[in-house]
Amino acid sequence: MILINCPYCGEREQSEFSNGGEAHVARPKNPEALSDKDWGQYVFYRSNPKGIFYERWVHTHGCRKWFNAVRDTSTDTFLKIYRLDDNRPDISEFKSTLKSPSGEPSVGSGNFAVKK
Amino acid sequence: MSAINNKNCKYISQKEIKITFDGKSYSALDGDTVASALLRNNIRLIGRSFKYHRPRGIYTCGIEEPNALVQILNEHNEPNTRATIKRTYDGINISSQNRWPSLAFDIGSINNILSPIFSAGFYYKTFMGPKGFWKKIYEPLIRRTAGLGKPPKNFRSKSIHQNHNVDILIVGGGLSGLIAARKLIDTNNEVLIIEQDCFLGGILKNSNKVKSIDGKNVFEWVNETEKLILGSKNIKILKNTLVTTYNFTNHLIALEDKFAGKKIDTNKSELTLHKIRTTHTILANGHIERFISFRNNDLPGVMLASSFEKYIERYGVAPDEKPVIFSNNSSTISLVKSLINLGCKPSAYIDSRNKNDIEDETKDYLLKNNIPFYPESEVEGCEGNKKVEKVYIRGSNKEISSINTSMLCPSGGFNPDIHLFTQSKGLVKWDDKIISFKPDTAFQNTITLGSVSGNYEFKNLCNEINKKLSFLKVNDLNLDIETNIRDDFSISELWETKTNKMSKWSKSFIDLHNDVTTKDLKQAINEGYDRIEHLKRYTTNSMGTDQGKISSINSLGIVSKILNKKIEEVGTTTYRPPYAPLSFGAIAGRSTYEYYDPERKTPIHNWHIKNNAVFEDVGQWKRPWYFKKDESESMHQAVQRESKQTRQTAGIIDGSTLGKIEIKGKDALEFMNLMYTNAFTKMKPMTSRYALMLGEDGMIMDDGIVCKINDKHFIATTTSSGAPKVLSHMEEFLQTEWPHLQVFLNSITEQFTTFNISGPKAREIISKVFTDIDFNNEKFPFMTFKTFDYKNTQARIMRASFTGELGYEIYISPKHALELWEQLFNYGKEFNLVPYGTETMHLLRAEKGYVVIGQETDGTVTPLDLNFNWMIGKKKKDFIGKRSLTRSDTAREDRKQLVGVVPIDKSLFIEEGQHIVECENLPNKIKTPIEYLGHISSSYHSPNLNHCISMAMIKNGNKLKGKKLFVSTSKGTKNIPVEVVSPVFIDPENKRLVS
Repeated sequence: MILINCPYCGEREQSEFSNGGEAHVARPKNPEALSDKDWGQYVFYRSNPKGIFYERWVHTHGCRKWFNAVRDTSTDTFLKIYRLDDNRPDISEFKSTLKSPSGEPSVGSGNFAVKK
Repeated sequence: MSAINNKNCKYISQKEIKITFDGKSYSALDGDTVASALLRNNIRLIGRSFKYHRPRGIYTCGIEEPNALVQILNEHNEPNTRATIKRTYDGINISSQNRWPSLAFDIGSINNILSPIFSAGFYYKTFMGPKGFWKKIYEPLIRRTAGLGKPPKNFRSKSIHQNHNVDILIVGGGLSGLIAARKLIDTNNEVLIIEQDCFLGGILKNSNKVKSIDGKNVFEWVNETEKLILGSKNIKILKNTLVTTYNFTNHLIALEDKFAGKKIDTNKSELTLHKIRTTHTILANGHIERFISFRNNDLPGVMLASSFEKYIERYGVAPDEKPVIFSNNSSTISLVKSLINLGCKPSAYIDSRNKNDIEDETKDYLLKNNIPFYPESEVEGCEGNKKVEKVYIRGSNKEISSINTSMLCPSGGFNPDIHLFTQSKGLVKWDDKIISFKPDTAFQNTITLGSVSGNYEFKNLCNEINKKLSFLKVNDLNLDIETNIRDDFSISELWETKTNKMSKWSKSFIDLHNDVTTKDLKQAINEGYDRIEHLKRYTTNSMGTDQGKISSINSLGIVSKILNKKIEEVGTTTYRPPYAPLSFGAIAGRSTYEYYDPERKTPIHNWHIKNNAVFEDVGQWKRPWYFKKDESESMHQAVQRESKQTRQTAGIIDGSTLGKIEIKGKDALEFMNLMYTNAFTKMKPMTSRYALMLGEDGMIMDDGIVCKINDKHFIATTTSSGAPKVLSHMEEFLQTEWPHLQVFLNSITEQFTTFNISGPKAREIISKVFTDIDFNNEKFPFMTFKTFDYKNTQARIMRASFTGELGYEIYISPKHALELWEQLFNYGKEFNLVPYGTETMHLLRAEKGYVVIGQETDGTVTPLDLNFNWMIGKKKKDFIGKRSLTRSDTAREDRKQLVGVVPIDKSLFIEEGQHIVECENLPNKIKTPIEYLGHISSSYHSPNLNHCISMAMIKNGNKLKGKKLFVSTSKGTKNIPVEVVSPVFIDPENKRLVS
């Protein structure tokens, strides 16, 4: 089980936390001004990259505080954890570590040895 | 043929114990495993195989055992126990598995004769049709014959979980693990050593390979090391513990058997699941010997060579006096030496390696002891009736000769036990020198030492360990390890020998546990399953409980030959946890039965029990479902009685389970306006409102009553099961979107006990209890509330109703809840005040047309669909979900809308969940889709109207009122004719409600 370093409580087990999906998707200030398409984009669409991902977490069974994290989804490692009022770290801070355990390609998965 | 006792074995006591196998009593020695005890008694037939019911014996001496699975009758009938690791004790009662009527004569072995039809993909090809056969014939048949052991008896596991946080975890207390531990003694690292056996030493106790370490014999050296470790301040040892899982972030799971070799004390925890977090993991978990495929390589009497040696050295029993040894590598000579030391002699030594590759020491030793030696030869196969009787040898001249023997010990080389390493996501690579995969790049902080890293040579061991642990800045340790055999490892590739004689009953197995033959592999490849992951699933190769520990690399070897590829190109299948089976009881730990999920009970719970309540689970809550007047009363009768009585005089329900959230702060009003659809700005203090909460998609999430104490203080109720969800939804928006709002949220669900008394006599009853409060309709109108002191706690009474009757909802401290509840009954007696449960609540609210979130709604319903337009604060600039209500799809007029439905023939009953259609009858066989207009969401027999009333979600329902439609039934093809009506069946003018 992954350990997550809650910025308020410290390292705790993953089971205490809930994932809140993509981070830095601000709720539109004036929803009425948006077209159906733009509003739909906000409500229904989130990115789901393989690699570096900015996402939200909440320490549900702890301090109940929300925070942001940068996680490499291909290796499931947390690269950075920061508070909501901290600035979004630039992507250049993180090495593009598309080093998944079996050296998979950037899209999809599978037994690499067999794919050859 | 008979077993020999090795009296020199130091790991087994000479104390006799009694064991029972298949009803017969045998004597064994204290410390024996089931397998060593049976071998001591010359029992070699242990069970029948999975598919063909072939006779099987003991193949190995450890966790890798594919065959010898037994049932432990006196331990809750525990099935599929590996005889090779299960330790015996006086009185253990064991039975063989998968045979009927007896082990020696098994009817199921007919499958062996029919085996040509049970080839790879048998199930996929055979059980295809005709339609309907699967459920009625095939599945019951397969279920009856599937599995090996019988399920255990019902018992309550007392296993517990234990957590460890250490700096270094050493997996395996063998030679490498002990050397690493010795280096770490009294350093600043907290170290945990885990050993699956009850003795440390690994290969030092399991074989005859190492003679001495630093001049001391191995037994002394291990004892000395153990003493040093136990005397250290920083190292702990867990024995009888198996590491099964290596997760991310150096988190490992190990299972400890607390009663290894002892009768289980059912008052104590029998298993401990250790959860270990560590900074560095040292894997020193060794290697596993693999077998070789040849004709009838499954006969009882075939046993891996190093396992045979382990029985001699570790368990003090040589299973046979003169086995035939068949090897493709240099290690097997130590078995010969072990046998000679006991005064026994192998019948033959067959080595498949080239004459020039075989060590001179080996040749000389065999010659000196006059052991028949077959270099450049192989075993073609073996034969016998339920045991090995004859072994056929293909000599260097390709001629076949035979030899009589009762045991055959093959060795196909060694695989580093990379299971845990690959679980940790480490990469492995092929090593041509040892002909196996070995660890290459670690993905976590993992260090492999000794044979698991592919180093089979003792003279390099200290060097390797010093080098790999140098980063820890600990002193080097150099030991003088003297071996009994040549230290450099040599092996020739051999996966399968060519078979000559072919009878239908002869088979060359690749997976003994699941009865997969080498022929199955070839057939699967011919049928196109040439990718190793497909092949594995199609043939079930290495999918047994042993996970192909002795055979999976062999199957890669055979497949690579067929495909004409290198083994590293074929690749391995994925190693997944657990390493070996562990019981569900251990995983569950204490979270079983009443501890599985907490139960929440209201302060009135015991009163409910005394008054014959039948309970219903609502989330974790236990809520009264209905109250039985007497034993003979049915649920239907009870609900009809409760409903009628409530409308006639008064009824009361325990609503303590309702979620309650307190919203406080300078910006509470603004926050509430954003969270709920309703407009709270103009709402007067001390009034309340039915309120809706939407998701950002415009769909109804929850409902409840919001009480406004003032602009800075609100209390909201939620549905019973929605409380945590609503609170976290509010928290999310407060923290992430509107952190500038000064608002605090607090769950007060359990701080207030709630009950709702309703009915025409409710006012008379409550006036007698709270004599100080004026309950006059003008002074205390609908949807207002009052707070007052009740015995120095603040209580609240609100005029609200979920039945459509005049109703009061009381919020009171749990401390005084029961006495107040009883008081209400005291004063209510003369009016026949009735307690009612959730079922009556549902019925009464349906009569009134009130919706239940999760019953009428399902996450696709907007407030507009329920005709709740009046609840939407249209003048508000924004609230969660507002923009979505005008999306083209949510604004559509022909969405499913809430209507009432009544049967035209009033004697008929409509079932919940049925479809609403336009046709009177359904065809017997539905060939073209039938247009479906909607579904029945709630349906009850109304005692007050005396016919069935239903609520339904129907496409364009608002425009269909007065129309005749049909509702399907579960009974047949004839539909029930119904009329679409308003969903409010009783008191549409709200006269009762506001009276």
